[in-house]
This record gives sequence, structure tokens and C-alpha cells, in this order.
Amino acid sequence: MTALQTSAPPASGRAGGRSDLRRKRTLGQRLRHDWPLLLMTLPALVQLAVFFYWPSSWNIIAFMDYSPYRSFWENPFVGFAWFGRLFSDPYFLPALLNTLKFSALNLLFLFPLSIALALIMHSVVSTKVRSVFQSIVYLPYFFSWVLVVTIFVQVLGADGLVSNWLLGAGGERLDIMSDPDTFTFLAWMQWAWKDAGWGMIIFLAALASINPSLYEAAAVDGAGRWKRMWHITIPGIRPVIVLLLILHIGNILTVGFEQYQLQRQAVGYQTTEVLDTFVYYRAILTSQYSFGTAAGLFKGVIGLILILVANNVAHRLGEQGIYQKS
Amino acid sequence: MTTAAVRTKSPRKSRRPAWDEEPSVFGKLVKAAFLVCYAAAIVLPIWAVVATSFASEEALQKAGGNLLLLPTELSAQAYREILGGGALTNSLLVTVLLTAGGTAISMVLTIGAAYGLSRPGSLMHRPLLMLVLFTFLFGPGMYPSYLVVQQLGLLDTYWSLILPSALNAFNLIVLRAFFMNSVPAELIDAAKMDGAGEFRILFKVVLPMSKAILAVIALFYAVGYWNIYFQAVLYTPGLETQPIQVVLQRMLMSTQGMPGADIGQYQAAEAAPTAALKMAVVVCTIVPIVIMYPFIQKHFTKAIITGAIKG
Repeated sequence: MTALQTSAPPASGRAGGRSDLRRKRTLGQRLRHDWPLLLMTLPALVQLAVFFYWPSSWNIIAFMDYSPYRSFWENPFVGFAWFGRLFSDPYFLPALLNTLKFSALNLLFLFPLSIALALIMHSVVSTKVRSVFQSIVYLPYFFSWVLVVTIFVQVLGADGLVSNWLLGAGGERLDIMSDPDTFTFLAWMQWAWKDAGWGMIIFLAALASINPSLYEAAAVDGAGRWKRMWHITIPGIRPVIVLLLILHIGNILTVGFEQYQLQRQAVGYQTTEVLDTFVYYRAILTSQYSFGTAAGLFKGVIGLILILVANNVAHRLGEQGIYQKS
Repeated sequence: MTTAAVRTKSPRKSRRPAWDEEPSVFGKLVKAAFLVCYAAAIVLPIWAVVATSFASEEALQKAGGNLLLLPTELSAQAYREILGGGALTNSLLVTVLLTAGGTAISMVLTIGAAYGLSRPGSLMHRPLLMLVLFTFLFGPGMYPSYLVVQQLGLLDTYWSLILPSALNAFNLIVLRAFFMNSVPAELIDAAKMDGAGEFRILFKVVLPMSKAILAVIALFYAVGYWNIYFQAVLYTPGLETQPIQVVLQRMLMSTQGMPGADIGQYQAAEAAPTAALKMAVVVCTIVPIVIMYPFIQKHFTKAIITGAIKG
């Protein structure tokens, strides 16, 4: 503390206008100059160290037969045994397939829905309609999954609004909220209800950055509505589409935990089990620590590989991607 | 209806440019119908929830369901029950405190690191930034995170709902990009010439110029803490007063899928919740979000886009 106090005033006094010399300074001089910046960064670094890097290193127990009741070094190393076990486990592959199924639905039907919504909104001339519609459709993005599922149960559940209308009209009770056969579609609907508007906002912001004189020039040259969309609008938002695609692909094994855990009881685990719920029920609730960790690490490593590959492909296609090659 | 009216009026005072051909009437109708339906699919359920929460027990029974669109008889009984002390009140209070405290901690971490890593050429800023960026690529996994929280003795404490997710790397990068691109470097250099230290520059120059984006980031953190559910399921199953989302989930479970529903899970109120009570809890979880919403809307898209593209 005293060292910092004595060194601070001269360091900051000398700071201005000398940034060109910064590179030639010794480490001690730079430390004296930059310690306030490092001090500001410290809390975040501690948070990352404790809650990101420390747990990340605990993934080592995926290669051990770990028990919290032994001292760490007494746990035998078992190599990749747990990863082999993953694929012979009767519940892991279905969970993996479910995860991929929900991800694919998201990618194939939710992503384009957001783009379509944005294109429709973009074509609406009235600013009033635009602002009203925009404020409505992305409100649910800020709702929790508990809230979204509750609202769906209230509206589409066996005792819900629609069900009552049907009963009142002499029809049958609607039971899609607890029907495993319709759950996939239902999950997609919930997802669309919650997130499509948010996606739309992102694409709308990208659309707004397209230079309007491009449209005018194209129209003067005789390009119709669809041609303009294909040759100006789509290329204009392509960087954003690619960016979001990369992020989606990197997260292909992450479909969230809450939506599926919340509906597990009503629909059954066979349909709702995804990788995150699998890890939760195995590692935490049934204490298969190493096995659950192996499943989590599998997910983390595949995600890492996918995002690097997707970004690499984007670079090769001449896109910016999520980070620059240095 | 009103939306359609606005649609037909709009071309007259429109800013549709002269080169743009007028779409066909049919095309316009399809578009208007689609927009109205989509908006209704979002507004109507929310409206029904609000309406039900104010409905009296009799009105609900007459409607014969757990949701209605127009309450024939208004009653604030459900809200009296929620706010009149007891488990639900405690849960709401805890969630409010959690949101306020968590947001404050998150903002300190985010602002500090965003500014600390934003000064060009500062010591170590590149490798430290890499440490932050790596969190985008990899997740440590659920059980290892749980293990660390357990080792720190934070299980079943409210700290476990704040500290493990206190820093959002995306917010950090967005804020850092703002500090670097939107706060004029000349101002910072001038302050330095006058002998101001980095802390003084941060508080007197940089932060006052970043109020809007700081508010948006704070609101994003706040929404995150307000919506906390998974962390509570994972880290604090033993706490007596749970965050409001967990309470809502227990109320939902107590009636979901009617026959054979697990009522044992429900602990928050004394008797099985009425539909009005449940919907009133839903309204209580929506209200803070709706209050924050206009502000988020005003400022955030720009922040997201700059962050997404420059980060």
C-alpha cells in the first residue's frame, strides 16, 4: 500500500504526451504507470479465476474415478474410461440426439423466422406500426423460462384458456402441454415466442445500416422488390447472419436447461432430456461425479471445436467472423 | 383493427420513397394480418394473465378455467395475499435485494475491467483480454462449477446466486468497445495532462459520458438476476426463502398437468394456490421487466450491434 502511494503521483504526473515512449519503458516503470488500470481489472480477473478457470481445471476429474470423500490424490486416474462409458450409457445418446434435434429446429426454423420478421418489419413504411410491433414482439425475450412455461401452461395446458374454449364449444380437452409427441413442436413454439422478436431486433439494426441510396440506384436501374432484397438487403445483413450462425453453431450442444427441466415432469424425461439436464441429474442428483463431468467436458470441448471450425470457415469465405486473425 | 387502420393511413403521410413501387393491396393485407396475429399471440396471453390476476374467485369459477380474458368482477385479493407478509412477500423482497446487490457487484466488475483493459498500450492488457475472451469459447461445465461453489462453502447461500455469474464477458466487451470508440481519447489525454489519475479519469470523464450504455448494461444484469432460476435449483435448493422464479415454478408444478400433479413440491403458500394468486405472482415477476423495458428499448440495440461487430 505504501509503495503504491509513494509511486503514484510521479507516475501519473509524467504520463501525458509520452505514450510514444511507453514501449521502451522497463517493466517496473510500466507497472508504476499502469497499476491503477491493473487494480481496476483485478476484481473481474479474480472472478474469472475463481468461477471460470478454477472450475475449468476441475474437469480433470473426468479422467479420474473421483469421490469427494477421498483426498484428491487418492482418486485413481482412469484415462478416457468415462468417455467410453458415455456412449454405452442408454440415456446419453438419446440426450445428445434430443439436444441436436432442438438445436437443429432452432437453426432451421427460428433463425429464418427472425430474419423473415425483420424483413417484413423493414418493408413497413409507417414508423408508428414499426415501433408498436417492435416493442411488443421482443418483450418476452426478457421473461424467464419459468414465466414462459407458466404462460404456455395457462393458455395451452389441459386446463388452459384454449382447452376451455374447445370444451365450451363441445370439443375435446387440449393436452399438448403434456404430450411427448407434440413436445418438440411445442418447445420450438415456446422458443419462437420468447426469442424470435429479439432476433428480429438484431437483424433490423443490421438492416438499418444499409445505405438507402443503394436501393434507389437499383430501383432506377429497374430492379424490382425481390431483386433488391436478394442483391442488396441479404448481402447487407450477411456479416450479422454469419456472426450469429457461428455463435449458434458453437452453442449447438447448449439448448438451455430451464425449458426442459421445467417440463420434464409433465412430458417425461425421454423427450425432454438434453445434455444439460443429463449432467444435472447424473452428476448432481445421483452423485455420478466423474461421469457427469465427462459429459459436461464432452459438451464443452465439442462446443470449442465447433466454434473454432465455424469461425475458420467464415474466414475462408471472406467473412469477418467473431474474431480477427492476428 | 387499429393496426390495420394505421396501415391504410400510412402511405399518405408515408416516407415511402418515390422510386419504391406501391405493394399490391393483397400483399399489404397479408402483411397486416400476419403482424396483427403475431402481436396478438404475444399480447393476448399476457393480457389474460393480468386479467385473471384481478379476477375474483366467483368470476373465475363462472368462467370455468384458470385463465380468462375479461374478469366480470374485480378483486385485488391475490395481491393482498402476495404483499401482505408471509412466504411470497419474503421471496419478492429477497429477489429485489438479490437483483440490486448482484447488479451493483456486476457493474463494479464490468466497469473496472472494461476501463482497465481499454487504455491502449497498457501493461498486460492483451493477455488479460484473451483470458476474458476465452470464456466465450468454452464452458467449465456444471459439476466443476458446482464443486467450486461447494468448496468455497457457498452452497445454500445467496452469494452462490451472485458471484459465479457476476461477470458477463459479453457486457465487458461491449462496454470496453464503447470506452475505446465513443469516448474521445483527447478528453482522456487532456485530463491526464492536468494530472488526473486513472480513477479520477474514469469517474469524472469516462463514466459521465457513458450513462446510457451503463444503464442498459445494468438493466441487462438486473433482468438476469431477477430471472434467476437455474442457479437456485443448482446451488441453493436448501434455502428457505427462494427467489421468486423458483416459487413460481413450485406453484406451477402444484397444478400442472392436473391429475397426479406433485403437490408436495409446493411450499411457498399455505394452501394450494388459486388461479388468481398464481397469475398475480406471474404479474409481479413481469412488472419490473415491463418497467425497465422502455429504457432498454431506447438505448440497447445500438450497444448490442456495436458490441457484436466490434467485439
